[in-house]
Amino acid sequence: MVEVTIDGQKIEVEKGTTALEAARSLGIEIPTLCYHEGLPPDGNCRLCQVEVTDARGRTNLVISCMYPIKGPVEIRTDTERVRDARAFVVKLLLARSPHSPVLQHLAEEYGVEPLDARFVPEDETDLCIRCGRCVRACATLGNNCIEFVWRGWEKEVNTPFKEPSNSCIGCGACAQVCPTGAIRVTEDETTRTIWDRTFDLVACERCGVRFATPEQLKVVSPEFKPVDGRVLCPRCRKLEEARAVASGLGAQEEN
Amino acid sequence: MRQIIEGYPKEPRYLLATLQDIQEHHKYLSVESMKMVAEYLGVPESRVFSVATFYKALSLVPQGKKVIKVCNGTACHLRGAPKLVEALEKELGIKNGETTEDGFFTIQTVNCVGACAMAPVVMVNDRVYGKVTISQIPEIIEEERKDAV
Amino acid sequence: MRFETIKDLEEYRQGLLASAPDIPHVWVCAGPGCLANGSMEIYEGFMKYADEHDLKADIDLKAEATGCQGFCERGPLVTVRLSKDANEIFYQRVRPKDVPEIIEKTILGGNVVDRLLYRDQATKSKIASTSAIPFYSHQKKIVLRNCGQINPLSLDEALAADAYAGLAKALSMEPAEVIAVVKDSGLRGRGGGGFPTGVKWESAAVVDAPQKYVVVNGDEGDPGAFMDRAVMEGDPHTMLEGLAIGGYAIGATRGLIYVRNEYPIAVDHLRIAIEQAHECGLLGKNILGSGFDFEIEIVRGGGAFVCGESTSLMTSIEGRAGVPRVKYIRSTEKGLWEGPTVLNNVESWANIPQILLNGAEWFKSMGTENNSGTKVFSLVGKVKNSGLVEVPMGVTLREMIYEIGGGVLNDREFKAVQTGGPSGGCLPASELDRPVDFDQLKAAGSMMGSGGMIVMDDHTCMVNVAQYFVDFLVEESCGKCTPCREGLKAMQTLLHGLTSGTAKPGDCAMLKEIAEHVRDTALCGLGKTAANPVLATMNWFPEEYEEHEKEGFCRGGVCSGLYALEIDPDLCTGCTLCERVCPAGAVSGEKKKPHTIDKHACVTCGSCIDACRFKAIKVVRRSE
Repeated sequence: MVEVTIDGQKIEVEKGTTALEAARSLGIEIPTLCYHEGLPPDGNCRLCQVEVTDARGRTNLVISCMYPIKGPVEIRTDTERVRDARAFVVKLLLARSPHSPVLQHLAEEYGVEPLDARFVPEDETDLCIRCGRCVRACATLGNNCIEFVWRGWEKEVNTPFKEPSNSCIGCGACAQVCPTGAIRVTEDETTRTIWDRTFDLVACERCGVRFATPEQLKVVSPEFKPVDGRVLCPRCRKLEEARAVASGLGAQEEN
Repeated sequence: MRQIIEGYPKEPRYLLATLQDIQEHHKYLSVESMKMVAEYLGVPESRVFSVATFYKALSLVPQGKKVIKVCNGTACHLRGAPKLVEALEKELGIKNGETTEDGFFTIQTVNCVGACAMAPVVMVNDRVYGKVTISQIPEIIEEERKDAV
Repeated sequence: MRFETIKDLEEYRQGLLASAPDIPHVWVCAGPGCLANGSMEIYEGFMKYADEHDLKADIDLKAEATGCQGFCERGPLVTVRLSKDANEIFYQRVRPKDVPEIIEKTILGGNVVDRLLYRDQATKSKIASTSAIPFYSHQKKIVLRNCGQINPLSLDEALAADAYAGLAKALSMEPAEVIAVVKDSGLRGRGGGGFPTGVKWESAAVVDAPQKYVVVNGDEGDPGAFMDRAVMEGDPHTMLEGLAIGGYAIGATRGLIYVRNEYPIAVDHLRIAIEQAHECGLLGKNILGSGFDFEIEIVRGGGAFVCGESTSLMTSIEGRAGVPRVKYIRSTEKGLWEGPTVLNNVESWANIPQILLNGAEWFKSMGTENNSGTKVFSLVGKVKNSGLVEVPMGVTLREMIYEIGGGVLNDREFKAVQTGGPSGGCLPASELDRPVDFDQLKAAGSMMGSGGMIVMDDHTCMVNVAQYFVDFLVEESCGKCTPCREGLKAMQTLLHGLTSGTAKPGDCAMLKEIAEHVRDTALCGLGKTAANPVLATMNWFPEEYEEHEKEGFCRGGVCSGLYALEIDPDLCTGCTLCERVCPAGAVSGEKKKPHTIDKHACVTCGSCIDACRFKAIKVVRRSE
């Protein structure tokens, strides 16, 4: 265990705990965009910067989502330098995606004056901030249907060869983790369309709501395991499980 | 194509090397070839596409028989490389990065070919032209065109 | 032939030295510059002449194609030595048709061919001996000592020049002792950062892991730098040897060489050298009977500047897009394939064998405090003697540019020297007496980088130079982190505004602010240093930025439309050179009388500025 000071408060943390985790455990809010609790960190958006002073008295800006606490350091999350660095990141992202509500909100919080029209690309509707949460989500699920393609300012997330991906199961995890709502998922009564591919939707055998794609159901994961041979939506599934427990059949279910 | 791909062990780390070999022999990477590579090496297609679009040495569109690389390293830049690109564009009627309709020439700018003392340098395939002036461009093109025919 | 022990190797080496016949020797430079100038035809010319006239390779003459001899400006180069103790004769700007004369007059007749000699510009006299030429006499060669001296495809020649003697010595020591020597020598990473090599090795050596790696960064991406190319092409064994020593020291059995895609000859030569070393037991299992196993493989880069950054390079070796990783854990702990990895650049590795062979004290006897040894530079740009030079650390910029480099091309005025590539900066004339080492350059707001040294004259626009580097970096940024991806793009927009005369008031201030933020917040080394070319030029040449922003004036005469040209009638001799190079027909005048430029016809391409030998073309503000 290591004792660190965050904004004047002392806390003991496990060695290797990130500055972000430590701060959040104290209820100190640090803004993040590319960071997601359920995904491996990547440290690319540079929003979650904090100042760290090490034992030798050296102070550096670090990204809190990946900075591992190894010794007794002092962390400050709200200095002028920190706010300035975060404002810079927001300013740049906002120029690329001027209509993003998330970024507009951050800009307001950090008092960002937007860059002028010369810095706004022709396509003002681009909401993607290239944080790659979608890519990491898809990889974490083992599907790897989307990746970063091209590089530099041209970098974007896309499917292989810009064709609808064969391995995509239409789960929509990419859209769920997207911090800016850049990934479009459209659903009608019977289908879901994402990344230019349209999937059928399977109906819940209890309530009739169409809730998942057949490709999703094929992937054996606990949340889609049929209950008593019936395909159920998450809500009905919970209800059924609760009922089973209540009627003492829980143990049987476990087997 | 198969031969190139299967020349490597089935390990993801050979992805870049395989793509480079295909590029060398076929002058570009077709979607077909990239799918074959993905299957053979057991890497996701998304990663193949990611690598194929990341590295400058790899191209998704066919290149000309003669790839004209204008070095735009610092020394060449100072000694007039941008003016050479303009002259080439004018001579061939295409933009930097494009290929002529007859498929003979592609113009590219590259960052330093390591022959700075000869600046400005133009490479046509493996042939190096040093201390190139704007007035030499038509001659070079003509010579290379003859060679390509 | 296979060396089972160190004794085998040394006996073989002694045999080579003893049996070498004392015959005339010809070295034809086949470095990048000379090759581009047709030096292969010259080499073949020698072979053909020898063949036709029945000259024997072991009796009459030995002709060889070598790696870069350095003085690229004067290429193609041919060096001749008549006997072991004779001085080398340096022939420059040799053409294939000169070959018979060189053989007949020099090799068979013992006389020099006067017209092929180098003529010293200061003394106006001709110099025959290589070592007397100022370009060479100020140099001290450790890394380049074999470049241009041996046939890079011959293991025997490398062995005769002490190859693998450093490895043999290392293998007779404990790994920790080897590290101590390197640490003591004070060798700092020649790739640019200047991190102490021995310290890096030590931190990987202490980690306990099943597989460790030593890696060569041969992804020489800085535009204007070609020293690593010269070493890999011209003396591949030295680097392999250095790598093997590193492997032994840290306990790595695998070495990888990441070579830039644009260097196919380097890949060939390395591949051949690896095979040769393998065949005779200098690589592979149980090297020289020491029990140490070591294998080397080559990985070709794919054309991405960012892959010169250590974590990107490793990601690229793993077969992925070369994107950097956040580096709170050092590569020496977890690098390539999660194994402890020591990554050094070509020049660093190439220093190792000599350090082992001659000791730390010897190495420290060269250079300055805390900056021991030599550094290789590619001296290029607007300088008379372009080429590859190796000097002890601490030589001043003035010595480099004026003594070795012979001064500014066409005797124009010196404006700046750029070091450190796209991560570095430009230094002005007032800094010319600054000694060149890691710390001095950093203190002046530039950096050593891998060793590109680009000289700029007064016909250079510093805003344009900054824009050049930012354009380069926008193209090469991997796009992973926000500051580098978006921030560089914003800087590019501002710089293009300045160089096209469309800047808004306050743009320079905004450029500076963005640049400083990019430096402070970017993820990897490339991003953190990407603002340096802008910040350094802004620091030393603020007036040029101001003129671009406020007046739309480019005093360098580079930014199209932001200046006019005039001919100074007092300086113009009416030589008509400018008239002949003008693509717009804007220059007119009578021969031997001052010429004039029609400002309406002039397209401000600047061709006349470079053509004029009398500095008569003046850059002036556009008249309203």
